Amino acid sequence: MKKKTRFTDHIWVVLLSILAVAYLYPIFMILINSLKKERAIGTSNIFSLPTSETFAGFTNYINALGAQGFAKSLGYSVLITITAVAAILVCCSMCAWYITRVRNKFTSALYYLFVFSMVVPFQMVMFTLSQTADSLDLNKPWNIWVIYLGFGAGLAVFMFAGFMKSIPLEIEEASMIDGCNPIQTFFLVVFPILKPTLVSVGILEAMWVWNDYLLPVLVLDIKKYKTIPMLIQYFRGSYGKVEMGPMMASIMMTIIPIIIVYLLGQKQIIKGVAAGAVKG
Amino acid sequence: MKKKLFVLALIAAMTCMMFASCGGGGEGASDETGKVYYLNFKPEQDEQWQTLAAEYTEETGVPVTVVTAASGEYETTLMSEMGKDEAPTLFQVNGPVGLANWKDSCYDLAGTDVYGQLTSDAYALKDGDKVDGIAYVIESYGIITNKALLEKAGYTVDDIKSFDDLKKVAEDITARSDELGFSAFTSAGMDGSSDWRFKTHLANLPIYFEYQDDGIESTDAIKGTYLDNYKAIWDLYINNSTCDPKELANKTGDDARNEFTSGEAVFYQNGSWEWGGVVGDGLLAEDDVTMIPIYIGAGDEASQGLCTGTENYWCVNSNASEADIQATLDFMNWCVTSKEGTEAMANDMGFTIPFKAAVESNNGFVKQDIANTDAGLTPVSWNFTTMPSEEWKNGVGEALTAYAADQTDANWDAVKAAFVDGWATEYALANEG
Amino acid sequence: MDKALKKYAPIFVIPTTAAFIIGFVIPFIEGLYLSFCRFTTVSNAKWVGFDNFKYALTDADFRQSFVFTVSFAVVSIILINVGGLGLALLLTRKLRGTNIFRTIFFMPNLIGGIVLGYIWQILINCILSNAGKPLLALNSTAGYWGLIILMCWQQIGYMMIIYIAGLQNVPDDILEAAAIDGASPVKTFFRVKLPMIMPSITICVFLTLTNSFKLFDQNLALTAGAPKHSTEMLALNIYNTFYARAGMQWKGYGQSKAVIFCILVIVISMIQLRATRSREVQA
Repeated sequence: MKKKTRFTDHIWVVLLSILAVAYLYPIFMILINSLKKERAIGTSNIFSLPTSETFAGFTNYINALGAQGFAKSLGYSVLITITAVAAILVCCSMCAWYITRVRNKFTSALYYLFVFSMVVPFQMVMFTLSQTADSLDLNKPWNIWVIYLGFGAGLAVFMFAGFMKSIPLEIEEASMIDGCNPIQTFFLVVFPILKPTLVSVGILEAMWVWNDYLLPVLVLDIKKYKTIPMLIQYFRGSYGKVEMGPMMASIMMTIIPIIIVYLLGQKQIIKGVAAGAVKG
Repeated sequence: MKKKLFVLALIAAMTCMMFASCGGGGEGASDETGKVYYLNFKPEQDEQWQTLAAEYTEETGVPVTVVTAASGEYETTLMSEMGKDEAPTLFQVNGPVGLANWKDSCYDLAGTDVYGQLTSDAYALKDGDKVDGIAYVIESYGIITNKALLEKAGYTVDDIKSFDDLKKVAEDITARSDELGFSAFTSAGMDGSSDWRFKTHLANLPIYFEYQDDGIESTDAIKGTYLDNYKAIWDLYINNSTCDPKELANKTGDDARNEFTSGEAVFYQNGSWEWGGVVGDGLLAEDDVTMIPIYIGAGDEASQGLCTGTENYWCVNSNASEADIQATLDFMNWCVTSKEGTEAMANDMGFTIPFKAAVESNNGFVKQDIANTDAGLTPVSWNFTTMPSEEWKNGVGEALTAYAADQTDANWDAVKAAFVDGWATEYALANEG
Repeated sequence: MDKALKKYAPIFVIPTTAAFIIGFVIPFIEGLYLSFCRFTTVSNAKWVGFDNFKYALTDADFRQSFVFTVSFAVVSIILINVGGLGLALLLTRKLRGTNIFRTIFFMPNLIGGIVLGYIWQILINCILSNAGKPLLALNSTAGYWGLIILMCWQQIGYMMIIYIAGLQNVPDDILEAAAIDGASPVKTFFRVKLPMIMPSITICVFLTLTNSFKLFDQNLALTAGAPKHSTEMLALNIYNTFYARAGMQWKGYGQSKAVIFCILVIVISMIQLRATRSREVQA
C-alpha cells in the first residue's frame, strides 16, 4: 500500500515538473529573443536559439535603456506604485477602523458604497474620471496616488474592515484608558496587529498599480510621463515600426524586478494573497 | 431596499458638496507668455520635430512640447488629449472627413501670417470663409524601386510604363528569384505599422479613377468600378514577394524597409517620407533608388504620375487661451519662414512645403515628382482623405489580410463588401448628425 | 470609545472619503448622467434621453462582444478553477519540491496584462506560422483559445493558492475519520473536502468571473479585437467606441454601453454570490 502511493507520487512529481517547465517557457522565450539581433527575430523563428551569428549580446538592452526613456518610465512606475500603495494602506486602514468601530447610518452607508465600487468596471468611469483628474491637476506621477486611493479604496477598506471585526475591542479600550488618543491608539496598538492584512492588501494593490495600463494612459499627462506598461504598448505602435529587439529587452527588464521581489518575499506574498482572498 | 435608497441619497448629497466646493477654482490661470503643444501625426519625423521645437524654445524662450501619437492611434490620442485642460494647441486633421469632427475646435486662420505664407489657397481647408486648416507638407508615394537590382534582373525603369509591364517584370523576377537572389516586392505587411500602405494608399487608386470617371471629388457611396484592378495589383504584390502571403498579417513596416535596404527585393511601395529610411549610410546609394507610379491598369497609364497630395493639415485649437494661440501661430510661422525652420523641414524631414519661403528639398523622391510633372505626367491626387472613417479602412485592411492568407473568390468578395457596402454604412454613421 | 473616536472622524475618514469621491463617486454619477447625453466633454453635454441606449442595444458589434465575453468567461472559469483545484490537491500531498512548484505556478500572476498579452502573441503567432495556419490577426478561433490559455496561465496559480489555503483548513481528524470508515480517496474528496472548501470555491469563482468579464489589457495586447472585432470583449468594445471613433455621437454610445456593462457585471456577481453562498457549509 505505502509503496504504491510513493510510486504514483513520483509520477506526479514528473508531471508537475513538465508543467513547471512549460509554465516558465514563455518567459525563457522572451529572454532568448531579447539576446538576438533585430533581424533574427521573426514570426516563425521565435523558438530558435541565438547562434554566434545572430547573438546580439546586450545591445537590445542598451538600446531600450537609451533611446526609449526606459529608465524614466521605470522611475515613474516605482514612484506611482509606492505612493499609491502607501496612501491606500494608511488612509484605508484608518477609514476602515472608524467604520467598524463607529456604527451609524453614515458609516454603514459608506461601507456599502465601498463594497459597491469594487464591482463596478473601470470602463464605467474611465472618461469622467480622466476629466475629473485633469481638472483637478491630478495627472502627475507624484499626485496620481489620489486617484488610485479613490478607485482602490473599495477593496482595501473591505479587507481591512473584515479583519478588524475580529480584533477584540478590549485591547483598544485599554490603551484609550491609559490616556492614548485615538490616533495614538490606532498607530501604536491597532496598526501592529494589522500587519498581516497590511501585507496582503499591500501586495494586491501593488500588483494592480504596477501593472495598470488604462488608468495611467487616460489620466497621466502623456506629454511628459509614461509608465512601464504604457511604454511597452507604445513600443509596438510607435514610429511606424515595431522594434522587436528593444521590445523584448524591455519586457525582460519589466519582468526581472518583479521576479526578484517575488523570489525574495514569496512566502509573504503567497501567504498574503491567500489570507486576503479568504477574508474577502 | 431602504438602505439602497439611503445610499443613493447620500451619493447625491456628497456630489453636491463636492461641486459646491470645487466650483470657482480651476479655470482661468492662463499665463501670459503662452506655450505650444503640438500633437504630431507623423511618427517618421518625430525626432526632427523634437529638435526643431527645442531650437525654437532656445531662440525665443517659448516652450514647445511635441508629442507624437503611436502609429494608427492618432485619433484615439487626440480624442483623449482634447478633453484635457492642457489640450494640444496645434493638432492635425487628414482632410475634409477628419475636419468634420473637429470643426468646432478650429481657430479661424484667415488673416494670420502663416496663412498668408501659403502658396495657393488649394492647400487650405475652408469652411465658407473660415480657414480651418492649412496643409503643411505635400508628399508623393509610388513604388520605390532599387534600380541596381532591377538592372541585375535585366530591366530598367524605362521598361515599366504600365501595369502589364510591371506584372511582366515582377513575374519574371519571381520565376528567377532563386538564381537572382532577390524577390520582386517587399512583404506587404498588414501589421498596424504598415497596413495603411495598402488599405489607405493603394486603395486610393481605384477611388481616384472612379472619381475621375464620374467627375466627382467625394461620394457617399463608392461603386467599386476599379476593384478588379485593385485585386490585380494586390495579387501581384503578395504573390511575388519575399514572404509567404500567409505571414503578412504579422509583417511590419520595419520588415519591409529592412528587406528593401538589404537588397532582398526590387520594389517597395511607400512615399517620399521614406527617403531618409532607404538612402544613406549603410543603406542604399542615392543613385540606386527611384520612385515609379503605381500602375493598376486603369486610365491613361502613359501620362500617370506619382500619387501626390496631402493628408496633413495643421489646425489651431480655438479653445486654447489667447496667449497659447498666439504662441502657436508664431511657432507655425517661424517653422515655414525662418531659415532654421524651412531648412529643417526640407532637409531633415524631407518635406516639400506649400509655403512661399520653402527651401528646395534634397529628397530624391520629391525631385522625381517634380521631374515627372515637368515631363507632362499628371499626378494622381490623394482621395483617401474622403474615406468615410478609420473603421472603413480597418475593415478593408482586415479583408485584404484574410484574402492574402487564403486567396479564394469568397475572400475577395469580402474585400469588395468591406469596400463598397462598408463605405455606405460608415458614411451614413459618420454623417448622421 | 465611540465618542472619543468621533471627534477624530475628520482625520480618520476624510482622506479616503475625499479621494473616493474624486476617484469614484463623482465620475460614477457623471458617467450615469452622460449616458443620456451627446457630449465630447463633461461641460458640453446635451440631454438626448434613451437614444444612446437604443443604439447600444442594437449595435451588432456590441452584441457580438457580449457573446464572445460570455463564451470566454464560461470556459475560462471552468478551466481555471478545475486547474487551480487540481494543482492545489497535488500540492497538498506533501510531494517533493512542492514549494518550488508553488512558486513557479504563481509567478505569471505578477506580470501585467499588457506584457502577458505580447508574450503570448509572439508565442502563438510563431506556433501558428510554423503550423501554416492563419495568424492571430486573422484567426478568431486562435484568438479565442489564445485568450483562454493566457488567462489560465496567469490565473491558475492564484486560484491554486486560495484552494491550498482552503484545503489546509480541512481538519485532519475529519480526514482520518473518513479513512477509518474506509472511504475511497475519490469519495473523501467529493463528500468531505469539497463541501469544506466551498468558501474558497465561492471566492475563486467570483474572482475568475469578474476578471473574465472585466478583461481588458490582455485582450488589447493579444488580439486587439482582430479580425473584424470578432475577438473584442465588452470592455474593449466600450473603449473602442469611446476613443477609436471620431464624432460627437460616439462618446454617448460608449458611455451608455458602459452603463449596461456595469449593470450586467453587478447583476452577475450578485447572482453568483447568492448561488454559491447558499451551498456553503459552516465549518
